[in-house]
Amino acid sequence: MYRYDQIDQTLVRERVVQFRDQTRRFLAGELTEDEFRPLRLRNGLYIQRYAPMLRVAIPYGLLSSTQLRTLAHIARTYDRGYGHFTTRQNIQFNWPALAQVPDILAELAQVEMHAMQTSGNCIRNITADHLAGVAADELTDPRPYCEIIRQWATLHPEFSYLPRKFKIAVTASAADRAAAEVHDVGVRLKRGPDGEPGFEILAGGGLGRTPIIGKVIRSFLPQPDLLAYLEAVLRVYNGHGRRDNLHKARIKILVRALGVEEFTRQVEHEFEANRAFAPRLQAAAVERMSRFFAPPPYQALGDCSPEAGSDGSGDPAHDAWLRYNTRRHKVAGYRVVIVSLKKHGEAPGDISAPQMDGLAELADRFSFGTIRSTHDQNLVLADVPQRQLRQLWQELEALGLATPNIGTLTDMICCPGLDFCGLANAGSIPIARQIHARFDDLDYLYDLGPIEIKMSGCMNACGHHHIGHIGILGVDKHGKEWYQITLGGSSAAPAALGEVIGPSVAKEEVAETIARILEVYVRERDGEDERFLQTVRRIGIEPFQERVYETHHTPA
Amino acid sequence: MRRIIRRLEVVEDDVRYCGEEPAAGARTVLPAAQWIAAAQAGQAGGADAVLLAPADRLEPLAALLGGLSLIVVEFPSIGEGRGFSQARLLRQRHGYTGELRARGALRRDQLFFLARCGFDSFDLDPAEDLHAALAAFRSFSVAYQDGSDALLQLGRRSHPTRASG
Repeated sequence: MYRYDQIDQTLVRERVVQFRDQTRRFLAGELTEDEFRPLRLRNGLYIQRYAPMLRVAIPYGLLSSTQLRTLAHIARTYDRGYGHFTTRQNIQFNWPALAQVPDILAELAQVEMHAMQTSGNCIRNITADHLAGVAADELTDPRPYCEIIRQWATLHPEFSYLPRKFKIAVTASAADRAAAEVHDVGVRLKRGPDGEPGFEILAGGGLGRTPIIGKVIRSFLPQPDLLAYLEAVLRVYNGHGRRDNLHKARIKILVRALGVEEFTRQVEHEFEANRAFAPRLQAAAVERMSRFFAPPPYQALGDCSPEAGSDGSGDPAHDAWLRYNTRRHKVAGYRVVIVSLKKHGEAPGDISAPQMDGLAELADRFSFGTIRSTHDQNLVLADVPQRQLRQLWQELEALGLATPNIGTLTDMICCPGLDFCGLANAGSIPIARQIHARFDDLDYLYDLGPIEIKMSGCMNACGHHHIGHIGILGVDKHGKEWYQITLGGSSAAPAALGEVIGPSVAKEEVAETIARILEVYVRERDGEDERFLQTVRRIGIEPFQERVYETHHTPA
Repeated sequence: MRRIIRRLEVVEDDVRYCGEEPAAGARTVLPAAQWIAAAQAGQAGGADAVLLAPADRLEPLAALLGGLSLIVVEFPSIGEGRGFSQARLLRQRHGYTGELRARGALRRDQLFFLARCGFDSFDLDPAEDLHAALAAFRSFSVAYQDGSDALLQLGRRSHPTRASG
């Protein structure tokens, strides 16, 4: 992974000094709340419903075991002993004290971490495929480009006060595990006509209250132009994005208002006009950066369990874990392990300090000391020798991190919701608990196959509900929590937005509603191989609507 | 008397804006559109200072930059960011070398970004302690991007080459 040099280290250290002084001035009354807000947000600090919330950056989801131990230490020392992984591969602490945040940032800086630009109207954490570097289906590792973009975007003098937040995702696989189509800018690695490296660029995607799928604005951008083109996009957005209405300020609204052709024309014009001044990305710089992401020293091992499902152990629990929580690795003899943060009874994405410490140790022993976070709020040990899978499973099991439910109904994405967030209209975590309680029979979940539930407590859509196969959106109706259900969304290319099935349902009825939806799926499913999403796309939402609303159901 | 920061020094402001009392020896800063109209008609007189609002386009001004010695870029509210692009374009694309001033809802916390974009004078929020604010120019000794702050001679090291070769 990337290691800081003197420059990076100096920058994060100076950032801590700067924020310590800003916090001091705020507490001393020298900065108003309005003046301090953009400053603290750019250091990841929100003032939440009950306490400040600090969001720490995990660039493109990559962590060392040392960094994870520091996060555990922070959770223990400054918080209530746990952290929460977000849908942007970052981690949040829900209970730090404002005056201690500079100390937390100083602890982070010691291990090459920071909270810069995890909030605020600036370029946010760059997200990427959590299987980067180990997926057999990728063109090349996207992470060197992510780090290049991260550096370029960090404290960018021109683009630190944008109309609204700006999110960039990078992917190198047709499967698009980074959801590039629903980002302000999506960067897809691509080869040019002569095999030269480059990118397809998308713009104007996003979720929130106006969900839009991004459009291709450049079908092939040569590698040297990457940062120059991003500057052109950002400059057009900075100049023309709306600043009069918070809810219409994202780039997607500008792209829609201008039309994608006109927006593209303006970007191309700016790109050409700025050629003489824009940064050029030289091949040598990419090569230098790529060396940080070179494959770890894999041993020459043969595949001992080439296909998931069984290693011949005869232990059904182990087999289920192998099948659901591991993925193919491009190197023979290795496998990717997904660490489930979706245990029954826990808030999705939550992890305790002892679990973080335990996992850091497992990463050191089994996976070259690195851990990844995923945009669906799980963690990954990416490079595990197959012959050690059984032992790893037992140890993960002991930590409560081996729930064999990845890709199933209970592997839900969920925002913090009303329990923590100042913006939420409704709870998310209690709904996750309700769903966990109702669907606790793993065999039933396995029969259902892959289904993604994504849940947001308000229309800001941190839980990505629009792109859930089943989306759940919390709404406030006369002071009560209600939930709107959508069907048919997907983040996998081609991305799709879910369709609302009808009036929202009461809090107690969410699990029952999902049960009815699943009942229709099981009835209508065309053979065991037809997945939930395929069935929804084939038959449309009407059969589901009929069943959900056929009688006024009462809670069981 | 209003005080500003110019080239790392706290000095008395020598300009007046429309609507302010004129003062002896003080130049008047005209709104960009008004100055452009006058300059195009050959009637700018001695006026050589303009005020640029966030939505003002630079193209009409570009051909007339030789007649200006001061451009004031307005930041009317906290979080307004268009002026950063205006400054960078004026310095880089349009080659403007005169005084470039940021004015408005700005505190010392924005000075680093402003300086990097090419501003060399700063009319900050009246609440700001200007002498204390001078230290903010040196908040960062390194940067990942090219900057236009050579005028201020801060000795900051730019490291865009790490990314851009």
